[in-house]
Amino acid sequence: MKITLHHAHEARSMRVLWLLEELGIAYDLKVHNFFDKSLRSPEYLALNPAARVPALEIDGEVMCESGAMIEYLCELFPDKALGRPAGDPERMAWLDWLHYAETIGQHCANLTQAHIVLYEAHMRSPTQMSLEARRLHKVLGRLELQLADGRDYVMASGFSGVDCAVGYGVDIARRFVRFDEMPMAAAYAARLAARAAYRAAQPPENATLIYRKDFYEVPNV
Amino acid sequence: MITLHHIPFSRSFRILWLLEEMGLTCELKQYSITDGSLRAANFKAISPVGRVPALEIDGTTIYESGAIVEYLTETRPDLGLGRLPGDPERVAYLEWLGFAETQASILASLNMQHLFMGDPTPAAPVVLKLEAARLAATLKAMDRTLADRDWLLPSGFSAADTMMGFNLFSAPYYVKMDGFPNVLAYIERIKARKAYQDARELDGPQEFYKKDFYDVPQA
Repeated sequence: MKITLHHAHEARSMRVLWLLEELGIAYDLKVHNFFDKSLRSPEYLALNPAARVPALEIDGEVMCESGAMIEYLCELFPDKALGRPAGDPERMAWLDWLHYAETIGQHCANLTQAHIVLYEAHMRSPTQMSLEARRLHKVLGRLELQLADGRDYVMASGFSGVDCAVGYGVDIARRFVRFDEMPMAAAYAARLAARAAYRAAQPPENATLIYRKDFYEVPNV
Repeated sequence: MITLHHIPFSRSFRILWLLEEMGLTCELKQYSITDGSLRAANFKAISPVGRVPALEIDGTTIYESGAIVEYLTETRPDLGLGRLPGDPERVAYLEWLGFAETQASILASLNMQHLFMGDPTPAAPVVLKLEAARLAATLKAMDRTLADRDWLLPSGFSAADTMMGFNLFSAPYYVKMDGFPNVLAYIERIKARKAYQDARELDGPQEFYKKDFYDVPQA
């Protein structure tokens, strides 16, 4: 099986890169620059017409949605036990949390656009930025509740592919939301960051990063 | 017993429609975006984040509409609306579920900025314009796909189509649809389905949009 992941450091493709590392399977990695025009080249647009990462090639088939990639990769390698297949008592929760990660991702994407991509003040709305941050905070409250019983990972049975999806979301969310009142989620992030596969998926030194600040405050009106 | 917590014209309509397609009856609990019922304590006990949908089913509650679609189709495989592992359309099916949510996130952002931040909105025109252009790009991609087929998947109608039950009825408030004839024909096919019509009967009046079209305000 030939697997190629198209990736930009710190972008949503990171969830899939991390999962590939957790699965411990062979893959090719093509790193693109998030900010320059490389995602707009004709070759890349043929793979992903939206000019976004990730794109995943699996034996000639191309996928563009990172949540779908996570679900499919977990299905392709059932012996790695990172999915919870139909019939598993955790199946419903696993699906719900996989899609929940997308909800986190949407707020993070809106905040990333406002704080980083649209860097000039007149291009952005502090009202929107503040509202998005509050909504993100509220959504994260559900994760804090899920972890309240002391479990290490989102599924009670242990680490799974949804932790790559949710964990990446938490990493980005920490740039926009204070975690002081979410100690379980903060500890969860630290637990994930200690995993070898997580570290292997991190950008190398001197890489072009999307997030250059630890925290992005909502600008004053 | 299945209970759907619902707001007319929101993402939860996807589930209302799918339940009708599957012939499953549910108890419908209606909420309003304007009367504070989403923030009431009894709803908070069901949905900690205070959002719809929430579906009570098989002894538990599930929140994310994409997950609900997957769960319903997997647990009722004889109805044939999912494309389960091993199906040749499995990847395409999962991709469309993801695509629908990506597209819906643009709509949710436009809804928030045009409808919920005050009038006139303090949203940045640059962002509104960008989001509308992005939405148009997703519709263009759909229009290409629908040129040679009736439904999103070549084999026919599936639960992936019900994900569009929110998207394609919200999109015309932000993007002129004339440029997407295949999408318009697809919407007509959706409207002709009995299950869709029955779901709309149950849906109730939408409270989101006060105008037919929301243009980008002049800076």
